[in-house]
Amino acid sequence: MRRTPFLSITTALLVVSASLPAQERAIAIRGGTVLPVSGPAIPNGTVVIRGGKVVAVGANVQVPSGAEIVDASGKYVMPGVVDAASYIGLSDGDLNEPTDPMTPQNRVFEAYNPFGTFGSGQPAPLRNKEALSGGVTSQYLAPADAQLLGGQGAVLKTAGATLDALVVREPAAIDIALGTPPKAPARAANRDPFTRMAEAAMLRQLFIKAQEYQRNKSSNATLPKDLGMEALGKLLRKEIPARIQANNATDIRTALRLAQEFNFDVIIDGGAGAWDMKDELAAKKVSVVLGQVSHPYVSNEEIPDKEDYPKPDERLAGRLTNAGIPTALATFSRAFSTLAPAGTGKWLLIDAALAAGYGMTDDQVLKAVTLVPAQILGVADRVGSLEVGKDADVVVLDGPPLSVKTWVQRVYVNGELVYTK
Amino acid sequence: MIRATRLLATAITATAALTLPLRAQVGAILVRGGTIHTAAGAPITNGSVLIRDGKIVAVGTNVSAPAGARIIDATGKTVIPGMIDNHSHIGAKSTDLNDSPMLIGPQHRFLDALDWNDPDFQDAMEGGVTTIVTGPGSGENVSGMAVVIKTFGTDYSKRMLLEKGGMKFAMGPKGRNRYPATAMGVAANLRQYLIKTQEYMAAQKKWEDDGKKGNPPARDLGYEAMADVLTHKTYVRAHVHAATDIMTLLRLKDEFGFDLALHHSTEAYKVAPEIAKRGVTAVVLPLGDRIGLSDDAMAGPYILWKAGVKIAMHTDAPVINQKWLRLCAALAMRYGIPDEEALKMVTANAAEIARVSDHVGTIATGKDADLVIFNGPWYEPKSRIDFVIGDGQVVYDRSKEGK
Repeated sequence: MRRTPFLSITTALLVVSASLPAQERAIAIRGGTVLPVSGPAIPNGTVVIRGGKVVAVGANVQVPSGAEIVDASGKYVMPGVVDAASYIGLSDGDLNEPTDPMTPQNRVFEAYNPFGTFGSGQPAPLRNKEALSGGVTSQYLAPADAQLLGGQGAVLKTAGATLDALVVREPAAIDIALGTPPKAPARAANRDPFTRMAEAAMLRQLFIKAQEYQRNKSSNATLPKDLGMEALGKLLRKEIPARIQANNATDIRTALRLAQEFNFDVIIDGGAGAWDMKDELAAKKVSVVLGQVSHPYVSNEEIPDKEDYPKPDERLAGRLTNAGIPTALATFSRAFSTLAPAGTGKWLLIDAALAAGYGMTDDQVLKAVTLVPAQILGVADRVGSLEVGKDADVVVLDGPPLSVKTWVQRVYVNGELVYTK
Repeated sequence: MIRATRLLATAITATAALTLPLRAQVGAILVRGGTIHTAAGAPITNGSVLIRDGKIVAVGTNVSAPAGARIIDATGKTVIPGMIDNHSHIGAKSTDLNDSPMLIGPQHRFLDALDWNDPDFQDAMEGGVTTIVTGPGSGENVSGMAVVIKTFGTDYSKRMLLEKGGMKFAMGPKGRNRYPATAMGVAANLRQYLIKTQEYMAAQKKWEDDGKKGNPPARDLGYEAMADVLTHKTYVRAHVHAATDIMTLLRLKDEFGFDLALHHSTEAYKVAPEIAKRGVTAVVLPLGDRIGLSDDAMAGPYILWKAGVKIAMHTDAPVINQKWLRLCAALAMRYGIPDEEALKMVTANAAEIARVSDHVGTIATGKDADLVIFNGPWYEPKSRIDFVIGDGQVVYDRSKEGK
């Protein structure tokens, strides 16, 4: 067993990262069908977690003495779902700056308000009950699409002891939107951008300015610090990628062109027209984060502008995946009704299940909401699969994860039981 | 994707963009060997449905095919009635849904904005939704008359099931800088209009009772349309979320005696007994995965059903794509509604609430031959639709669609 050396590493991590809840007593989730996602299903398998990490996964796992035993016989055990795009936890007034189309200095983390919209009614500990009830344990949050460049996105857990403990990666990306959404408020205010041409030109000018800033900074130590330019420096040095919302082929081309000109990594959000661009996406190894299968419109409008979207095609996720393009299925969810707290993360698995009728295997669908988004978000070292050494984000379900009748029964985040049905 | 029947359609109509059931080969079809969920009784395993001339002529375990009938083998498959979406807004431009300055506009008819060739109908049909109620939006307190139509075919007169498909009310202040800006104002305004309608009807009746002497009273399209509501020729379809607004509608119903169906009905579960004792029906909030609702609200349909309220599901399309209507019922099942009851909420109940149950909603002899054949349980996301039969014709055949 590699358990012992591993535990010592975990313990060391815990000392450094005191915000993680230390679960010294091991928990063994035993007897269920374990879906590690990174490998084949393990019937009658066991998952052992301790110290906030997965310490063992398999069919013949020795359960540490004194471990809490969770009987999962007849149930399914899988890694926490990763929602690669969400706005849950952000209030409407904090989604976008209304007066400035480009604000790279803005960090979504600083608008994240779990108290207002987590739905638990409790000030602490922090629980996004709606997302947890769908098995979602990590999500990417970012400013919304009413600006060209809203700011910096973050990958956050859906439960934790403190706000800082939620952070998986921050900043995780520079968040950009092309197409109609940034034009609409600009037109209403009679300012740029009115057109797609202006969108591209404004972004290009901003990136040039950021290049000049980085150059000046390296030769002039006393250059006044500009927070936005600093953030864009991370993009230009490929420390973080750009997440560019681009749905039709025109916008996807613009996104790829900008990434090539300024040599940054890019992830396509929305991507409804990605099949038209499959060859270039595959050649450039660009990933795609699609919206819901049943509702692929990722913009905020109740009735989206059809100009941005080709006709919805449920085959898209399967076709892209099988063409070798890493493709995640995400919710892009946000509050819709003031009468009910939003939390469509709870339906991510059920929505993704639709893709299994359209050319994806069950395994591919599960990956598209766990390991693939974790890889796209650059956090696969911590989440996305049940593997030794990863965060103990574990979901226990009472049936196969892609059935509409299945309920999430237990969710562990960082080894802590944070949700029970 | 073009089928022979469709090519023929193109030849005879300039605008044919839709699939359509042509009568080129009027013949019997026997759907054989599936599990038949009739929405009118227990499921029939290894059952068959015989259809001819657009109608269902036999249902059961012992139905044989007449000579020359096309056989569709449904062994291992699931057969349900063509689904009915009780509330949507497709077939018209979004700018034609609301005449917001009007506030109360019962004279508006969705039919006058309807594009029968809207591609959304094809999408709905491919999702097994063969009949829909589509109508004006909720930008006014009364926004006009909906229609009940089929989603397939080019013979518009055949597609039209009910021209007076329900009068749309929408409760709740609309946030305008004018009267009424409160729930109180909306209630008073509606009550005043209904009283004026009664007075209009009384004046008309007096003129008739007096022997129609002299000029008739001046006609008013709005009061005329609302008179159809008060004389039960049609009913009120009320967009409503809050429990307080539901109670206002129930009071107005008590006062004026109209027939009422609640729509969206988000907080209806909070006043379920009040709704049940009046026999009012409810079309419940779209439970599609786009709309993130708390478990309390998601369990609302179950609470209404338990209280004895007749309920149906809706997509509010284009809010949720109409083809996923079945998922609304599937999600409601998670909260306790039994399988066959959930099916009724997208078939039989939906037809009754839409007042078209003489034609559609169940698999029964004499009903329109609208059927959907799935390759698995109708409620599972992974299941696919193999065939849609509309008015006795195969209008969708997955094997020919390349999907």
